[in-house]
Amino acid sequence: MTIHAQNRAQSLKVDRSACAGHGLCYGAEPEIVDSDDQGFPIVVAEPVPEELRDQLGALVEMCPERALSVELPNSEG
Amino acid sequence: MTTTQLPENLIVDFDVYDQTLAMPEDVFQERAAALRAIGPVVYSKAHGGHWIVTRYEEIHQVLRDPETFSSYPNNLVNAGQGKFIPIELDPPEHTFYRQALQPLFSPKRMKELEPRIRDVINELIDDFAARGEAEFISEFAHELPTRVFLALMGWPLEDAEMFTKTTDVALQGIPGGTEEESAKAREDAANQIFGYFGAIVAGVRSGENTSDSLTAQIINTPIEMEDGVRLLTDEELYRMFFLLLIAGLHTVQGSLAWGIIHLANNPGQRQEIVDDPDTIPAAVEEILRIEAAVIAGRRATRDVEIGGVTIAEGEQLIVLLCSANRDGNEFEDPDELRIDRSPNRHLSFGAGPHRCIGSHLARIELKLAMEEIHKRLPDYRLVPEDPPILHATQVRGCIRLPITFTPSA
Repeated sequence: MTIHAQNRAQSLKVDRSACAGHGLCYGAEPEIVDSDDQGFPIVVAEPVPEELRDQLGALVEMCPERALSVELPNSEG
Repeated sequence: MTTTQLPENLIVDFDVYDQTLAMPEDVFQERAAALRAIGPVVYSKAHGGHWIVTRYEEIHQVLRDPETFSSYPNNLVNAGQGKFIPIELDPPEHTFYRQALQPLFSPKRMKELEPRIRDVINELIDDFAARGEAEFISEFAHELPTRVFLALMGWPLEDAEMFTKTTDVALQGIPGGTEEESAKAREDAANQIFGYFGAIVAGVRSGENTSDSLTAQIINTPIEMEDGVRLLTDEELYRMFFLLLIAGLHTVQGSLAWGIIHLANNPGQRQEIVDDPDTIPAAVEEILRIEAAVIAGRRATRDVEIGGVTIAEGEQLIVLLCSANRDGNEFEDPDELRIDRSPNRHLSFGAGPHRCIGSHLARIELKLAMEEIHKRLPDYRLVPEDPPILHATQVRGCIRLPITFTPSA
């Protein structure tokens, strides 16, 4: 079965070395990202369900540390 | 290039402690814009000479590189008679303190305070709503963070005035006084507050005070340090509590005031908030962006090139967060208030390892205050013949803000 790129499971990745715990991501999209007890984000929707994928672009953009990215786990050969 | 060969045009006449930046009229952002137009990094001869970083990209770079830019001293004046902990420590030492404190101010723990904070907000509004006028700082913006923070720390509300006075002196010295008078006042204020904290710490350590306040938790939480697990020393605790007090009381006061000032001047956007409270979280971020309170200090640990200049090892810098937030390379129409701005990667809480630990509490206080104010006093106005009084220094803020509104029950 052919899987088209847009239908592939998308994952949100947090670069913990860049993250400073601003908390904008889990404030905006608690269904995708939660916080740990240090205030750092934990991705809770893995992969991100289809109905929440429209939010990913804005989520990645809002991070002051550019610590968020979207990955397509199936994209590697 | 060293400071001695610095081009004349990069040397600016700017002192963040100069009160004419905010009085009689607040021109801080205009002055910051003028510095930003000269260059990303400029030089002031005030306070023994220091660099001023003005643009978003360079400020972000400085804040994220603690190895090159030490956060001691953070202040151009000796506000704390020594180091504030943990803001004036660098990693890796800083990290131990930070990891111990962070869970106590976590988003979830702060969210649990919401009902109590909303009660405080409504009690404060109850006291002036029927009058149709208020001095917003003394009756609300000062009281809210003070009551919330003292309750959280378990410190008596009766001592609020002493806390206010000592932190005011630490930040502002003696307005209108000489530098010597200010320095002496800062020393006395620090001694007074350290003495006060000494009694609190002794009470908890002796078992006389058995409260479960944040203060007791900080005193009783063993910290994993490089040299093993241990409790914080008395001196470390005083320096940490003094910092939390300054950070917890003053910055929220300023942000609440700026929210009122900017929204009163933008009644269309205020109406959007009144009509749809779901706009408030984004509006809070925009209020935070448009006037950031903090001017953070750093010191170069090595020669470093940044923003077209070379800063030599040992030289002092300050970063104007409020100027980063008005940088047109990061924000479209940066001088305009846009409550739905997105993205809004403002640096009002800083960035990197020292990013504001109280930001989750601050956001909740601001959000709930905006909700209740726009529900109960939706048509607040400034008083043209009695305009707001603001102040400069490394924590900008507002001292007096008279407002009028339609009286309500």
